[in-house]
This record gives sequence, structure tokens and C-alpha cells, in this order.
Amino acid sequence: MGQILQLTLEHLCLSAAGVLVAGLVGVPLGILLVRARALAGPVMSLVDVLQTIPSLAMLALVMFFLGLGNNSLIAALFVYALLPILRNTYTGLAGVSPDLLEAGKGMGMTGWQLLRQVQLPIALPIILAGFRVAMVTAIGIATIGTLIGAGGLGEPIWRGIQLANTFMIMTGAVPAALLAIIADVLLGGLEKALVPRGLRAKNI
Amino acid sequence: MKRKGLLLIATLLTAVSLIVAGCAGENAKSAGGKIVVGSKNFNENIILGEMLAQLIEAKTDLQVERKLNLGGTLVCFNALKNGDLDLYPDYTGTGLMAILKQPVETDPDKVYNYVQEQYNKKFKLKWLKPFGFNNTYAIAVPRETAEKYNLEKVSDLVPLAGNMVFGAEQEFFNRPDGYDGLVKTYGLKFKNTKSFETALKYQATAQGKIDVTDAFSTDGELITYDLKILEDDKKFFPPYFCTAVVRMDTLEKYPELEDTLNMLAGQISDEEMQQLNYQVAEKGRDAKEVVREFLENKGII
Repeated sequence: MGQILQLTLEHLCLSAAGVLVAGLVGVPLGILLVRARALAGPVMSLVDVLQTIPSLAMLALVMFFLGLGNNSLIAALFVYALLPILRNTYTGLAGVSPDLLEAGKGMGMTGWQLLRQVQLPIALPIILAGFRVAMVTAIGIATIGTLIGAGGLGEPIWRGIQLANTFMIMTGAVPAALLAIIADVLLGGLEKALVPRGLRAKNI
Repeated sequence: MKRKGLLLIATLLTAVSLIVAGCAGENAKSAGGKIVVGSKNFNENIILGEMLAQLIEAKTDLQVERKLNLGGTLVCFNALKNGDLDLYPDYTGTGLMAILKQPVETDPDKVYNYVQEQYNKKFKLKWLKPFGFNNTYAIAVPRETAEKYNLEKVSDLVPLAGNMVFGAEQEFFNRPDGYDGLVKTYGLKFKNTKSFETALKYQATAQGKIDVTDAFSTDGELITYDLKILEDDKKFFPPYFCTAVVRMDTLEKYPELEDTLNMLAGQISDEEMQQLNYQVAEKGRDAKEVVREFLENKGII
């Protein structure tokens, strides 16, 4: 039991690390792309293509450069988490009504102020939805990390498959599924809580 | 407002670096005194990886780190080449065909010498002395059938094949070293062929739905379903002798390692490997325990 708990924490930590690194790259990149929209198409297509590489092949590729272990897994998770975060950041920011931007400019806001006080708050729920998708995907993909010597819940799953031991598979698969569901619910709640007060649907 | 934003970003960055560092920490390459043993993610290879690990722990002062679940030959081989692993068990036929991309060769000594020479030269890796067993394709029949017709070799099937059904997994029918080559080499003409899921073909044989099947010569299922392997008397199947493949710089750094690992040379027969696989895969016993028992019974540790 203690071991499962430890593997679960490790699994969460690895998944979160991949997603957070993707966030650090994806959100600023999304902001840049909204300002240089001509680049948005090509960059987005490139990230799309990366997304289509099968996960085991991706791990084998990354392993070639980063070697066995957690680093390679985090790098692979980063690649898969990047698309939803980047796409949602871009879509969210690009979708802010031009009228609101005009109003902001009319009030004398600088570009940074517009971003901080108008665009980001309005786009935040959409951006978070991207993180939510990325996190759930990452928790799923992290289960194959054990094939390149990384930690996490993949270990009992793959060992169980080898031994045709359903119970052992479950000790990895059930916590991973629970982790994904909990992450989904928590991030979903955060998404709702972060809708700016002025934009919430009014209960009449 | 602005300061708060910066603070938020700073906090986030710190959190990320902590998490990444925390997760990645154990990755750091170890200082001397530690051997990283790998294996591919199927039972036999995991058992052998565990065996090499226990042997090193018992006979040397070196510490062992196990990475026994790696996804296949490519992952293991590249990790070994890069120095992420110090050694892992592999099969001569795999080295010849999968890594060195050479055509099928059936003489075991030729294969061993060839992979040894190429690995030494190209990758600075060394094949130790083979453990003894040969995990290759084999032709198996139920023991009853074998006794009834007094079958010992694959050639013995020739007069009987016209009344027998041959069953195997789909892959065997598609491989150059599979069904087509087999019947051609031996001049066999079976009544019929059937393809099954790998796991089901043994059951089908035991239930008499098929008379002859292919197997891996060290499969634990051979014991479960009481099948007998017929000798490949025309040496049709390529040899897959197994041993540890080790980095040469590791062997230089820890000179005691080579002799220690070679204690397993010739110690595991086909039947013994079947038995080890049977204990783990069919009986569900812990590989660690099965391996320790084996090494103790052999008087190795």
C-alpha cells in the first residue's frame, strides 16, 4: 500500500512537471503568436505534427538524447502537453472581443496593461481548460514511462501485463485513473472559479 | 497589480524548478561502485536481469540498480551504448539480425563469434559466455502424441504430417524463418494449418484442436500443457543463445565483474529456463525469490 502511494505521488509529480514546463513555454508562446499572427499557422502545425508521434516512439526518440529515466519522460510529456496549452492560450486571447480592446485603449491602457487586465482575465478559463486536457493526457502517457526506466504507476501495470496478473495491473491502473479524474475535477473547478465576475452568467 | 503578477510568475517558476528537480533528481549518474542492470520487459529477460543483479550483489561489493522493465531491444541496446546501462541479457540471434541487420545464420558458433567481433569493434560492448539455453523457435507436440508415434526429431513428422494439423500464431506463418521455410527444409506436408493467438495455441494443442505447434524453446507453457519439443535435426531455426552484454569500460573499471558474471556460463539448460519461466509466468511467483532459489540450489551463491 505504501509503495502504491509512493508510486502515485511520483506519477503525479512527473505528470505535473511535464505540464508545468509546457505551460512555461506554451503560454508565453501563445501570447507572442497573438501579436504575430502570421506565425501562428506554421508554429501550430509544427506542434500538431509532434502530437501525432506515437508515445512509445516519442519516448524512444527522446531517450536517444536524454538517456534513460525521468528526464526523458518529462521531456516527452512536455511535447504532448504543449499543444493543448498553446492552442487554448492562442484561441482564448485571439477570441477577446476587439471592442473590449478598443475600450481599453481608449482608457489609455498600455499593451502590457491590456494583456494583464483585459485579455488574460477573459481568456483565463480557456487557457486553464488547455492545462486540464494536458494534465489528464500526461497522467495517461506517464504510465509508459517505465519502459524507458522512469518511475510512476507504469511499473505495476507493465509488470502485471507480463505476469497476466490482473490484480497487479489494477494496483497501477486504478490509482492512475483516479489521479486523472481528480485532476480533471479540480482543474475544472478552478476553471469555473476563475471566470471574471463580470463575465459570469447571471442567475436570475 | 504589476508587482503581484511578477511575484506570481516568480513563485510559479520556483515551484516548477523544485518539482522538476525533485522528479529528475534520481537521474544523476552515480559515482563509482554502482552497476546498472537492465532487461527487456518480458518474463525471461526480467528473470535473467534479476539473476545477474543478485549475482553481482552476492559476489562483489558493487551496488546494483535495476532497470528491468525497459521497452524492448532498441531501448536496452541504446541505453547500453549510451552508458545508461552497464549490462543487460540479450540473445545472439537478436544481436545478429535486429541490431547488426545480418541475414539468418544457423551455426551457433559463427553467430556468437560474429556478434562478438562486431560489438567489440563497433560499440565497445562485450558478450560474455552464454548461459547455456537456446531460446529459439521450436516444434512441439503433446507428450502423448510423441510417445504414441515415438517422435524425437522434426524429421520424424514427415510420414505423419499428412494426417496432422499445424497451428501457430499468425507471425510464424509470415516470417522467413517460420512456416514456409520449415516445411520446405523438412519436406513436410501438413493436412491443414490454423492460426491462433499466441496464448491460445498451447491450449488448442492440449485440447487436440491442433496436432503440432511452434513454441519458444524456453516457454513455461510447455510444462503447463505437457508438450514435447522435437529436435530441430536439420538446424533450420537460427540460434538465440543468451548471455549478458556488458560495456567494455565497465569491465575495465571493475575487473572482478567479468569472472563473477561468467559463473553463469553453461549453467542454465533449456529445461531449467523453462522451469524458471514456468515458476514466474505460470505459477505467479516472485521473480526475485525464484532466482535466489535457483542460484542457491546451483551452489552459485
